[in-house]
Amino acid sequence: MMLAAIENLGSITLSHYIFTSALLFVIGLIGFVTRRNMIVMFLCTELMFQGAAIAMIAFGRFHLNASGQVFVIFILTVAAAEAALALALVVLLYRRRETLSAEVWSELKE
Amino acid sequence: MASSIFYLACVLGIATAALYLLVRPGARALKLGATVVGLGALGWLVQQFVGMLGGDDPSDRPGVIFFIFSLIAVASAVRMITHSRPIYSALYFVMVVLSSAGLFLLLEAEFMAFALIIVYAGAILITYLFVLMLAQQAPGEDGTVQSPEYDRIPREPAAGVAVGFVMLALLSEMIFSGVSTELTEPPVAAAEVAAWRELEQMPGQLRRELIRVDPDLEESFPADQTPAKFSRIDEQGGIFTVGPLGSSGQTYEVSLPHSAMPQNIQRVGWALVHQYPASLELAGVILLMAMFGAVVLAQRQIELSDDEKLEAARAHQSARDAANGGDA
Repeated sequence: MMLAAIENLGSITLSHYIFTSALLFVIGLIGFVTRRNMIVMFLCTELMFQGAAIAMIAFGRFHLNASGQVFVIFILTVAAAEAALALALVVLLYRRRETLSAEVWSELKE
Repeated sequence: MASSIFYLACVLGIATAALYLLVRPGARALKLGATVVGLGALGWLVQQFVGMLGGDDPSDRPGVIFFIFSLIAVASAVRMITHSRPIYSALYFVMVVLSSAGLFLLLEAEFMAFALIIVYAGAILITYLFVLMLAQQAPGEDGTVQSPEYDRIPREPAAGVAVGFVMLALLSEMIFSGVSTELTEPPVAAAEVAAWRELEQMPGQLRRELIRVDPDLEESFPADQTPAKFSRIDEQGGIFTVGPLGSSGQTYEVSLPHSAMPQNIQRVGWALVHQYPASLELAGVILLMAMFGAVVLAQRQIELSDDEKLEAARAHQSARDAANGGDA
């Protein structure tokens, strides 16, 4: 099954997957820098996680072991925890100033 | 090779310029032009990659699926960071998640593909959508929802895109020249031996597979023990030595076919609990702490002082005035 799988991969190489993941990561980075809405900024970090996950799975497939997929499970965990905390924080901040603009909160001290 | 790297850099530059025009607020026609240019650059990239594939052998079909999925992923990611309505951004991110789940399927990570859809598209994104709807601006007097100024005007688009371009240039320089450009022959034999050794650690599964190959084993060995050890691999699959493992008694060899190898989900589960048990525990602690943190943060009532309330109301009012002024 494993041997057949390698033939099925065709001529798509590891570089193709890594390049896709790099593109997603960089788009997420640009979004994080340029967007001013706090929620969209956090969505962009999720996009960067997504790029990293594709790279992990591709490397795991390349070495034919399951470690890459296990790392993606941990990435999912961290992404879920980050989303929960970040969104709770955003809700808290929104109640206070009624805006999602990140610049309003450039100083967080009370 | 050097010239193709140069062309790649040029095309990436064009693509980032198009991305810049899309991110920046501007005329619709300009954005349309930028979209066309960006699609052209992406098409060139695809064509280069197809050229790298070499030949029109029908066995290259998985390549087509790869390009479809990654194009959808990249295009929706661009739309996600350029859309001025956050809800649509979140929905475009769902598209990214779905197409990368497709890529995972191509990489034979079936479990992760479906876990990604369930956890990301199903849980995390829904949380985002809830918060987005909670924090939505009230519609104006005429009933239309005007996206606020911080959603329409980006912050430092030129600098952001430049940083992204440099980062992408470095990454693709690494990908295309540092690492080998072909999927080099991985140490298949070593990986296969590792897979068979994992099967050796799963006694129930191993016994089932052995009995499927050789039904006589069912009588000769009791169910609670399987005296089988992995010995070596050959073209047909893995060869296991079955029999009393001590010095006494007769041993014989059973050859298991490749289909008897542990499946993807079994290997992931095995790696999770066997190789990374401490990380698994840590992940549980992280999730627990995130839950506590979210509960504590979200239920906290803020006591606004009077002047803060006044300031918030004034800011709200001026934002609404600005929006109405923009309409008029």
